[in-house]
Amino acid sequence: MTRQAPADGAFRGGSDSFYLPNFCASRAAVAIVLIVELTAVVLSIARSEAVDFGAQLARSSLFLLWIGLVGAALLCVLRPALARLGVQRGSLAALALLTATVAGISIATVLIGRSQLLGAAAVAAQFPRQLWPFVLRNTAIGGVITGVTLRYFYVTHQWRRNIEMRAAARVHALQARIRPHFLFNSMNTIAALTRSAPRQAEQAVQDLADLFRASLGDPNQTITLADELEIARTYERIEALRLGERLRVTWEVGALPLDASVPGLILQPLLENAIYHGIEPRPDGGTVHIHGERSAELISVVVRNPLAARGGARHGNHLALENIRERLNLIYGQRALVKAGAFGEEYIVTLRFPYIAAPGVPVRAG
Amino acid sequence: MLRVQIVDDEPPARERLRQLLEEIGSVQIIAEAATGPEALEQAARLVPDVVLLDVRMPGPDGIETARHLSVLEEPPAVIFTTAYDQYAINAFETRAVGYLLKPVRRDKLAAALAQADRLTRPQLLRLAAAAGTSRRTHIAARRREQVRLIPVAEILYFQSDQKYTTVRHLHGEDLIEESLRALEEELGERFVRIHRNTLINADHLQGIERGGDGRYSVLLRGSALTLPVSRRLAGELLERFRI
Repeated sequence: MTRQAPADGAFRGGSDSFYLPNFCASRAAVAIVLIVELTAVVLSIARSEAVDFGAQLARSSLFLLWIGLVGAALLCVLRPALARLGVQRGSLAALALLTATVAGISIATVLIGRSQLLGAAAVAAQFPRQLWPFVLRNTAIGGVITGVTLRYFYVTHQWRRNIEMRAAARVHALQARIRPHFLFNSMNTIAALTRSAPRQAEQAVQDLADLFRASLGDPNQTITLADELEIARTYERIEALRLGERLRVTWEVGALPLDASVPGLILQPLLENAIYHGIEPRPDGGTVHIHGERSAELISVVVRNPLAARGGARHGNHLALENIRERLNLIYGQRALVKAGAFGEEYIVTLRFPYIAAPGVPVRAG
Repeated sequence: MLRVQIVDDEPPARERLRQLLEEIGSVQIIAEAATGPEALEQAARLVPDVVLLDVRMPGPDGIETARHLSVLEEPPAVIFTTAYDQYAINAFETRAVGYLLKPVRRDKLAAALAQADRLTRPQLLRLAAAAGTSRRTHIAARRREQVRLIPVAEILYFQSDQKYTTVRHLHGEDLIEESLRALEEELGERFVRIHRNTLINADHLQGIERGGDGRYSVLLRGSALTLPVSRRLAGELLERFRI
């Protein structure tokens, strides 16, 4: 647990996270042909009063296919460069590029029609004669259609990524659930207490049930910060039975707004990690510090634990931390921050996310 | 009457075993310990027949503690207790060592005790070695009624004669019964063979000297001695430290 993760979590990534599809792939080429043909049909219907529909469709298709395929080839080559520009500037560049392609091919078409290369007058008659009206009209239509298509790609991409992120968060929540070691040790503790301290055993069974109920909930469901703190305290009670005096936890959470809406299980796993990596491996135990703050509209929670002695460190996966990061990003986007790292003799995890009051819960003074 | 020692860092886990042992009867709980070193000190003094040993403990864990217990003059039979250690369980199962899963059941505990009672010393040694898949952090040396745990980091060198191996460390010298070859294999990179009978801790290497006769010797930090390097191994040593 020494990795310092970038604050933007799931939002990093190169050209692969860019919303434009890869136009070098054959599937995208098929989509281009489809868009071109639909556009050609629309244009031909609009003009079919004046001229023969079939001839008009054939002419428009031929013309638009050139634009479509040249545009696709350009996007295929320039996609990495556009991705580097970011969504806004990349989109503007793509729009400019495709509109310029439309204009360029329109001009070329008129010039070819005027030239003597084609010979037969019947063929030349199929070409537009006036340069600027043709070019301007096409550029306007091309600009609008390109804009709509880009928007379509963007929305589909966002929608798909959101689904992927939700699925990933769900899978990781499953993996990050209560450690089996904790479950069986707790059961063993309860078995011992059943005889010597039945009341404590009763409390432990209730606590364990609450904890499991919380961990079985929908990972994307939000709960109040008060409930999340209670889950963490429940967890502490069970661990305290097992570890006795070796476990000490200080709670400085008075400043936190208890009605804040948070995703479930963002704090308990941090306490669990702190105990598993920082307290259990130490023969004399240690203290976990939990400190909460609210500044303006941001909530921050810091969990600190002593580093295990050299050689006693446990190899843990980063699932819990990754999972919390994913879920916070899903809800708050870039405004959420999860930081973790060793500083001196301590391991420190910081969560920061916007304060959003849960609906229908009266504000309680901290 | 079977003399049993309970070792677990969690008080309720020890309590659970105590309750069950009292029910089983015909056993005597002679000691309880919360860490490996404490367990070892008690075991050397009180000589239990059976040790109920938790696998996951802070400091030297149960597996390492079992290896240290095996150097005792009369090593106890070890029954591991564990909540969930898939890898360790596999290791035990292949060698049919006693292990109990938590929460511990009374009939399983009784059966394990009965079986442990029948194990012979060579079997015990083999089991302890089989469980020890990871590197030890300490080396155990026996001194009459005591077992001393020497942190590997504090060891300067091992030197063997016909029967014993001498461990020279920051606080003195002890004898162990392990072979240099086994130690070299287990302790790995940090330890370097400089002579047929000498294995040094490279972390404590201070210098390499060349004598008038062209033979090399090493100087170790914290030790006034120089140790001779054999002709055969000198090249390798110089190569390794790029001298």
